[in-house]
Amino acid sequence: MEKRSILHMLDPMPHNSPFDINMAMDAGFDVLMPYSNVKLESVHGLVQDAIFSRGPSGVKRTGIFIGGRNLGLAMDMLESAKKAMVPPFEVSVFADPSGAFTTAAALVACVEKQLQEKHGIGLKDCHGVVFGGTGSVGIATGVIASLAGADITLTDHLSVDTALAVANEYNNRFGCKLKGTYASSEADKARLVAHADILFCTAKAGVQVINADILDDAKQLKVAGDVNAVPPLGIEGIKRNDMGAPLIHAVHSKGAVGIGALAVGNVKYQLQSILLKLMLETDKPLYLDFRDAFNKAREL
Amino acid sequence: MEKPYILHMLTTAKNLSPFDVNMAMDAGWVSAVPYINVELGEIQGLVQDAIFSRSKANLKRTAIFIGGRDTKLAMDMLRLAQQSMVPPFEVSVFADPSGAFTTAAGMMAAVERELADKFKTTLAGKTMLALGGTGPVGQAAAVIAAKAGAQVRIVGRQLEKAQLIADMCNNEFGEGNITISAGADADKAEYIKTADIVVATGAAGIELLSAELVASAPQLKVAADVNAVPPAGIAGVDAFHNGAAIAGSTSGAVGIGALAIGNIKYQAQNQLLKQMITTDKPVYLHFEHAFEVARAYIKSIS
Repeated sequence: MEKRSILHMLDPMPHNSPFDINMAMDAGFDVLMPYSNVKLESVHGLVQDAIFSRGPSGVKRTGIFIGGRNLGLAMDMLESAKKAMVPPFEVSVFADPSGAFTTAAALVACVEKQLQEKHGIGLKDCHGVVFGGTGSVGIATGVIASLAGADITLTDHLSVDTALAVANEYNNRFGCKLKGTYASSEADKARLVAHADILFCTAKAGVQVINADILDDAKQLKVAGDVNAVPPLGIEGIKRNDMGAPLIHAVHSKGAVGIGALAVGNVKYQLQSILLKLMLETDKPLYLDFRDAFNKAREL
Repeated sequence: MEKPYILHMLTTAKNLSPFDVNMAMDAGWVSAVPYINVELGEIQGLVQDAIFSRSKANLKRTAIFIGGRDTKLAMDMLRLAQQSMVPPFEVSVFADPSGAFTTAAGMMAAVERELADKFKTTLAGKTMLALGGTGPVGQAAAVIAAKAGAQVRIVGRQLEKAQLIADMCNNEFGEGNITISAGADADKAEYIKTADIVVATGAAGIELLSAELVASAPQLKVAADVNAVPPAGIAGVDAFHNGAAIAGSTSGAVGIGALAIGNIKYQAQNQLLKQMITTDKPVYLHFEHAFEVARAYIKSIS
C-alpha cells in the first residue's frame, strides 16, 4: 500500500499560518504536522528525524514546508534542511515565509508580462521602486526583480537606515543590487516616481501609498502593481482585478498600466499550489524558494 | 474536486485536549490542526488567514474550534472570530472550553428530563445549587439553568470568588438578563433546605454534599454529579446513576451520575462538530447550542 503523504510544517513563529495549512491540504497532502516556535538550530535535528523513519519509498511521500515571517531566517532554515539530508534519505523542502516568496514572484511575473505586452521591454531595461520595500513581500519583490536585471530601489516609509540595512543584507545574501531610501512625504514619493519605469506597492494593507497627484509626476512609468486588497488600495486608480488596465492618473506616462491585488493573488494562489504539488510529484527531492517560485510564475 | 475537511483547533492552553481531537476526527473532520498558547489578540489574524485561502465552496469544509480552560476567554474569542469574518469568506466556529459547555449542557438536559419524568415539572422556578460551581462546568450549568428560568446559586469555598464568578456569568454569558447569586460552601446546610436541584461540579474525588445533608433536604428532586472518581461528589449518587432514587433522600430525589452525563455530553459535542460540516450557513456555537442539541438528543431516545 502506498504510504500517506506527510508535510512537516516548520515555523519559527508561535503559530503556523492557517492559510498555508489550507493550501497544503488542498494540494493533496494527507497529513499535516505543524511545528511552531522552531529555531534555526533545531532544523537539522527535525529534518534528520523526518527522513529516517519511512524508507526510500516513504521519503518521496514526505515533505517539509518552512514558514515564518523572516525571509533571511527561512532561507537559512532551507539551507540547513538541505545540509541535513543523507541521500537516499532525502525529502523536498519548500520555503515560503509569510507567503512572501509566492506573492512577490507572482507580482514580478505579472509586471514583467505587462512590460513585454504593452511596452515591448524586459525588466533589465527598467528602474523600479518598491514602496513598503522593507517588509517581507517588498524585500522578496526587490530581490526577484533585481536578480532579473531591473534597477531596484527599496523604500521604507520612515527610515533610510532601515532601507539601506535591508538592501545591504539581501545584496550580500543573494548577489542582487538593491538600493535603499526612504519616502515619508508626498514630495519624496513624487521624486522617486518621476523617474521610475515600474512601481511595486507592497506596503501595509488598507493604506493608500500613491495617490493621483503623485502619479501625475510620473514621466516614464510603464507598469504599477499593488498587492493591497483592503481598501483604500495602495495605488489610486488601480482596481483589485486589474490586469494591465490603463493607469488613468499617470497622465504624463504614455501607455502606463496597472495590476491589482486580486490579479496578483490569483497567480500567487496557483503558484503556491503548484509548488506544493511538485513536492508530491517529484522523483528527485526539490528545494524550493523564491527563485523557483518566480520561474514557475513566468510559465503561468 | 471537493477538498478535505479541515478543523483549525485553537487553545489558550499549552496543549489541545486529546479528547477534543478524537471527537473532531470521529465527527468527520479529516485534518485537525492544533494552534496552542493562542492569545485573544491573535484571533483576528489567524481567522483571516484561514478564510482567504479557500473558495467559498471549500470554506464550508473549513471550521475553527476554540478550547482552553477559560470560559470567558473562549466566549470572547468566539465573538472576535465571528467579527473577523469577511463575508462571503467566513467559516463556522465552535467554543467548548474544557469540554465544559457540552458537559454542562448534557448534565442540565438530563436534570430537565428527570424533572419531567419523575416530577412532572420543568427547570422554571426551581432553586438550584451549583456546588463547586466556580469552575467552567459549574458556570455553564448555572447559566443554562438560569436562562431556563431556575433560581441558581453558585456555591464555592470563598464567597468573594463565588460572587465574582456569579457576576461574570450574569454579565458576560447572560447579557444582564439573568441573576445568579453566590454562596459560601460553609453555608450549604442552610441553602439545601430550599434546593430542588443540586449539581456537583467541583474537583474530582471530593465529597461536596454528605449523606447527612442529602437527608436534610426537604424538597430535593434531582442531584447530578460530574465526578466519576470516588468518593462521589454527592453521597449516594454513583457514576452509573441515571435517574435512580438516591438512598437516604427523604424527599424521593433521583440521581444522575458522571457516566450518564458523559454519554449526553459526547452526543452533544459530536453533533455540534458535525453541524459545522453539514451547515450551509456558518454557525457560531457555544453552551446554548450545546443545550439545544442535548435536549434534542434526549427527546430522540425517549
